[in-house]
Amino acid sequence: MRTRLAPADISRPSDRLSHIEAGDLAPLPSPYEDFNATAIPPLKPEKVRHIETSLDDTVALAIPRPASPEEEEARVRQFLSGLKKLFEKENNWTFLQPLLLSMEHCAKCQTCADACPVFEMSGRKEIYRPIFRAEVLRRIYRKYLRPGGKIASRLTGDIDLNWTAIARLAELSYRCTLCRRCAAACPIGVDNGLIAHEIRKLFSQEMGIAPKEIHDKGSIQHLKVGSSTGMKPPGAKDSVEFIQEEMREITGWKVDVPWDVEGAEILLIHNAGEMLAWPDNVGAFAVIFQAAGVSWTMSSEAAGYDVVNYGLWYDDVQFSRVAVRHADITRRLKVKKIVIGECGHAHKALTVVADRLLTGDLNVPRESALVTLADIVLSGKLRFDPRRNDFPVTLHDPCNVVRSMGIVAPQRRILEKIAPRFREMTPHGVENYCCGGGSGFALMSGHNFADWRNRVSSRKKFMQILAAFENEPAEVPKYVCAPCSNCKGAIRDLIGHYHAEERSRLYYGGLVELIVNAMADMKKPIIRFGDEPSWKA
Amino acid sequence: MGLYVLTYACALVFVLAMGLRIRRPIALPVHVRWELYPVRHETAERVAYGGSYLEALNWWERPDKRSLWNELKYMAPEILLMRGLWKENRRLWWVSFPFHFGLYLMVAAFGLLLLHALLALGGAPALADGHPLGRLLDGLIVLAGWSGLILGNIGCLGLFYRRLADPELRDYASFADYFNLGFIFLFFLCAFAAGLGDPSLAGARAHTLGLLTAGSALEASIPGPSAAGAAAVVLASLLTAYIPLTHMSHMVMKYFFYHSVKWDDAPNRRGGKIEAAVRENLGLRPTWQARHVGADGRKSWREIAASEPGEMK
Repeated sequence: MRTRLAPADISRPSDRLSHIEAGDLAPLPSPYEDFNATAIPPLKPEKVRHIETSLDDTVALAIPRPASPEEEEARVRQFLSGLKKLFEKENNWTFLQPLLLSMEHCAKCQTCADACPVFEMSGRKEIYRPIFRAEVLRRIYRKYLRPGGKIASRLTGDIDLNWTAIARLAELSYRCTLCRRCAAACPIGVDNGLIAHEIRKLFSQEMGIAPKEIHDKGSIQHLKVGSSTGMKPPGAKDSVEFIQEEMREITGWKVDVPWDVEGAEILLIHNAGEMLAWPDNVGAFAVIFQAAGVSWTMSSEAAGYDVVNYGLWYDDVQFSRVAVRHADITRRLKVKKIVIGECGHAHKALTVVADRLLTGDLNVPRESALVTLADIVLSGKLRFDPRRNDFPVTLHDPCNVVRSMGIVAPQRRILEKIAPRFREMTPHGVENYCCGGGSGFALMSGHNFADWRNRVSSRKKFMQILAAFENEPAEVPKYVCAPCSNCKGAIRDLIGHYHAEERSRLYYGGLVELIVNAMADMKKPIIRFGDEPSWKA
Repeated sequence: MGLYVLTYACALVFVLAMGLRIRRPIALPVHVRWELYPVRHETAERVAYGGSYLEALNWWERPDKRSLWNELKYMAPEILLMRGLWKENRRLWWVSFPFHFGLYLMVAAFGLLLLHALLALGGAPALADGHPLGRLLDGLIVLAGWSGLILGNIGCLGLFYRRLADPELRDYASFADYFNLGFIFLFFLCAFAAGLGDPSLAGARAHTLGLLTAGSALEASIPGPSAAGAAAVVLASLLTAYIPLTHMSHMVMKYFFYHSVKWDDAPNRRGGKIEAAVRENLGLRPTWQARHVGADGRKSWREIAASEPGEMK
């Protein structure tokens, strides 16, 4: 009897297509073995009675169950209509060529499988195999949209299309962090991560189905009030005012954050989540820019102080709207360039992907803060005392910054100058592993999704971090430098979930905090390990 | 004559089908950037760790620096030796490499056979008895032909074994995958059998000469192909026509994967070709149905990107 799942099984009705037992997950090392015996907490039946939950142990989308067979039929037709649009230039010029190539030329060699941390960490659960969801889409496409598909599918791989398959495919597109390690490993160049991205787009742009954290509370709120955090312009200014005061304590001098300065050299746009969750990051940028005498400004216009662009993960239309908004604000401020703060997906969204969307005077120069900072740190404009960072440091590479943009060296040049106990993770740079919070996962925590993330998609990163510090005594504080807001969110949750602060004294933060912490003329350290300052004031 | 007609027809199908395959991605609209690093036309220093021109301060003020040499240094071992598979999936490489290299050698042998035939038609002195160049060419034909046949057969058997024995490959293999592999194996097997009766591949030389002259240049003393030889010619011809119709055309389409997607890092400069193409794309009129999109088939991407989502109206 067949026990392994195959792509065609996605349309076979069952309560749950796949399940992870406690012992299935890749084992964690000491002192975390106790977590090896814990499973993902089950979904609460009373909370999922009316939503689709038949894929696995968690829920990302909470799609309402159709009320009748007629409604199911209507949704199947809607899905096929959306699928057709993915292959039309009017609807999908943005990704048509990469999608067609990846749809038609996969050799099914499974090279991508070993590159995928979700598949590996889950105990190689079939549904998380990169080719599984891609193959489901390929079979549906070939059978239902290609001429003669119903007959040809018997030769090339059959599949039935029903509402069960569609609901599971929608959920399955949110079990991939879009880190694109699979695409980097593919000898042909097939991008199964892109196929997950395109499935998400189909559901969002045609059927209005997307996780509420990245659509309703994300890109919609961003465009509506100015930030995906819900923070309006006056709120942003208030937050920064508070941050300025905090920085005065640390530096011993007055720190000013300039707002809406026309013609400034740099418009710095942060992920607004930093202002609320990691205010020191925003403050550290201000300290560095002020100390280096940089001409810069922030924008208080709605969306001008929040560089996130969640559309990158699921919806080209929302992506375009946010990118155009950012560019338009910059154009009107007449600044020389945008510098993107420590936010990985915003780096890729605004610098690389939006590059073929912005035309004329909307095509303003964009630069990574890591590049700007490296120039400042290495210029000699600031005086450093690296002994102030005398603790073990490792660097997390955000996928969007390294693998998707090739910005690898600047952050390392900085660390070599200011962090004497810096060590790399294995692997690192363009071969890094995702934090597990990529593509919106760090923001998604409905039902038990955060548990799934901490146990499955972030597990590889946790193991990498532990390995980077394996020769350090448990009592020594250790710093994971993650120059990306979403990555920091995922690592914060990992540390909390596994009690890693208590067990391994693991701490995390951005790159700018390390820079300011090493500046020789600071009055107090900006980095604290719990209640303990990182150096004696 | 029938064999020649079949080969001509299949070659024509190959040219047309491959032409259409190649034309399709070229005709598609410019897409957004979706590159993956390392991008191999970067400077040698950056290629070493996967860096890009975006690491430079004010990168837009610097001239584009692309190195075709760096690209070739990567592509040659990638195409010939399957370096990516060696690095990422060693177990499969041991069977996939002989299969692919066997095919390359068969193409190389055919190229040498064509050269031999052209020299023969031109009455080149190099083909005179005992001439070292002629002997070298004959030797290369035999070497490429036999190496290709041996490697191809080993590769086919190995791939069959892996597809059947490895559940990860078996569960995703369709009838078409086995058919494709079987088709190629049958060709290698027939060609090998034909070669056993003609180790110097004189029949292949004669057939190639005949191909260039529709059979009229064949000397009466050269016997027609054996049954295995005829089968090999038929299968090779059909395979030539069949490959561009299937995913096996990745041997050519890989160019687009790399140059149009993975390594396409060309920045959009104001007033440049890319900008003109993007402007054209922004005039396209989508029909996505979700409420927030606000598409109706009349509004362009440009108008929609500048508008607010449906929920806000």
